[in-house]
Amino acid sequence: MATEDARYRQSSQFRLWSFAPSHLASLRSESNMLAKTAISARLQSSNPPVCPIPDFLTPAEEASLLTYYTNELLRAAEFCELPTEIRATSAIFLRRFYVTNSIMTYPPTELLKTCLFFGSKADGFYIRLNKFAEKFPNTTGEEVIAAEYILCQGIRFAFDVRHPFRALEGAIMELRRLESFENDRIDRAHGNARNILKYSPLVTDAYFHYTPSQIMFAALSLADEDLAERLIKNAFSGAPWEVEKKVVEVVQSCREMLQCEPPEKMNDQEVRKAMKPLIKKLKKCRDPDRVDLVALQKARKEQAGQKPKKPKSGLQDDEAVFGGALVDEREAKRRKMAEAANDPFGPALG
Amino acid sequence: MAVSPLVKHPTDALQQVTARAVSSPLKNANSAQASSNGTPLSVSVVPNASAAMQSASLDIAERMNEDEKRKYVRGKKLGEGTYANVYLGHLRHDPSQLVAIKKIKVQKEYTEGMAPDAVREIKHLQELSHPNIITLHSIFSSKDQNLNLVLEYLPLGDLEMLIRDTDRVRYGAADIKAWTGMLTRAVWFCHENFVLHRDIKPNNCLIAADGEVKLADFGLARSFADPYKPMTTNVITRWYRPPELLFGAKHYSGAVDVWSVGLVLAEMVTRAAYLPGNSEIDQINLICQGIGTPTEENWAGVTKLPEYTVPKEVTPLHGKNYYISRFGVIGHEGVDLLMKTLILDPKKRITARDMLKHEWWHKDPKPTLKKNLPKKSGGEEKLGDDLKRRPGVVEEDRGNKVARKLDFGAAR
Repeated sequence: MATEDARYRQSSQFRLWSFAPSHLASLRSESNMLAKTAISARLQSSNPPVCPIPDFLTPAEEASLLTYYTNELLRAAEFCELPTEIRATSAIFLRRFYVTNSIMTYPPTELLKTCLFFGSKADGFYIRLNKFAEKFPNTTGEEVIAAEYILCQGIRFAFDVRHPFRALEGAIMELRRLESFENDRIDRAHGNARNILKYSPLVTDAYFHYTPSQIMFAALSLADEDLAERLIKNAFSGAPWEVEKKVVEVVQSCREMLQCEPPEKMNDQEVRKAMKPLIKKLKKCRDPDRVDLVALQKARKEQAGQKPKKPKSGLQDDEAVFGGALVDEREAKRRKMAEAANDPFGPALG
Repeated sequence: MAVSPLVKHPTDALQQVTARAVSSPLKNANSAQASSNGTPLSVSVVPNASAAMQSASLDIAERMNEDEKRKYVRGKKLGEGTYANVYLGHLRHDPSQLVAIKKIKVQKEYTEGMAPDAVREIKHLQELSHPNIITLHSIFSSKDQNLNLVLEYLPLGDLEMLIRDTDRVRYGAADIKAWTGMLTRAVWFCHENFVLHRDIKPNNCLIAADGEVKLADFGLARSFADPYKPMTTNVITRWYRPPELLFGAKHYSGAVDVWSVGLVLAEMVTRAAYLPGNSEIDQINLICQGIGTPTEENWAGVTKLPEYTVPKEVTPLHGKNYYISRFGVIGHEGVDLLMKTLILDPKKRITARDMLKHEWWHKDPKPTLKKNLPKKSGGEEKLGDDLKRRPGVVEEDRGNKVARKLDFGAAR
């Protein structure tokens, strides 16, 4: 119990949000598939039915878009001048949310604001909602928190995210204590590693596959390989040789993952331009019922207000099938029309 | 430095949504051991067919929520408050496993989404799994978007009830030692996990059916701040609030909780709060009278704290005999430990870890075995009362002990 490993295994980050790569991939493709099925059904039942059904995003395309939107979140966080840890927490919330939700289902441009607001709250940094909303073009406070509840559910109420930043501070202190490296060199490595930590692990799946200390070592090793090696050697002096080897391998594989998204990419216009076709594609295939999250939230609240409607009416089944809520009156009407259209006896005579 | 490279990927995360969504409901079956290594205790929930058909087209997240909700059956209401209602509940597949379901109400006065106290409580309880800390089994949302926290069922009231019921509840030094031990382990575990509880007091120490003390109410808790980052001083119910907070220190440590533990211990002995101040000024006065006036001599730097004010007449620190005459029941070592928790200078105050190493625990009398601890029946209602309170504050009718509510608006 007392060891850090044992304690880490109790964390929600490990219990709920760590996966083998294959497992993560299968969850994402399941979310993708569920979204396709649900959206197809919704488009077909709309009046007039949307025809033909658009091309949907593949899981690989969703992954690229997720990287893109996490990047957008980090840029927004920088603009809002949020502290580093909160930027990181918010980014991880966004990535976790889209493990079990498709980008086609909930609009990432909205969710990223919700993540930033809720990430601040979860880290004890209380920004006034309206002040926060003002920082974004055409955004109201209501829009920012419309998806807060959906977000909390999506991240499975795990509000504590374990970051590698403090581990890096510890590593740097340890390096200084060793007195075998020039201070300048340590300072440089410190700065570079910190820059990497503020970007690369957040826009990749590093947090899903590696522990904070592994991520820290990977970043430090990218910044200055010798320093990282020395620390690992020190930490495992006396431990069996295989243990150290295993650690080095894990750090190496994490390093490869971080290398794919170096911090310079954050403001790379070319990368952003290259995403345009996918963003276009997303606009065509997104969930028609969940574009307007404020309306969705209102509908859910109203639905909750009309309490005693318990057992199975036809409507109830419909709600269940379509994920909980009828969007708004217009939507309800549209659906009624669609139902009527399916009725072999036609709509009521008017 | 954190070196935890040998962590394997859990095999259960999101694998079988029915197996474990937030955490296993059997987590408390045998205190921490069963679950501390993260091994899922599989629960076989057989979903009914029609529900299963429905879930086929729910989002994964919605489906998991439904699965969690279906695991429990909500029973009678145990308590109703402005912040939350508390219900008795049980596991659907095993009605003998009782839980308390705390349904947090949507708050009208807080219009900025989910209330911060609920967020804090969930955040920390999700991470802390220890026999002396209330277990959060699960969280699910109901249709109306109210949060439901499924908590460990703790039917035997709280320490405050035992302390106050002088007519019917008798206890002695061995019992006090047992209770203090359990509370100290809880606080140690929080600090070991870099969490400050910030509201330790007798009525936040709930008592389980087997007599185990469980620290509850994490509505004011926070993680340790990074160096230089200021924290609010508006925490801890006044009677249990340490001098550094009363003097407005923005940087503080686990020592704040240790002070509270010391005052809970003192209160158990005398069966009355030791420092029941009726205002902040009064609280400082009582500390000066009951312990000694904080000065540069006994606490270097104290006069520089932003709100340092003490009565003109300086009371010198009381010696051991002063405490022996009041708290002698717990013996010399017990008094020694008590005095160390009430050291004015937080840097010199004993830590929770060192409390656990204190010799008092090894002296006679040995702590009472859990099963032999004095108990009180009729705690069910009280659990309802304890859990329905907004975390971090007590109802007004509890007199002068209201922890000041955090002012979220003021902090930018």
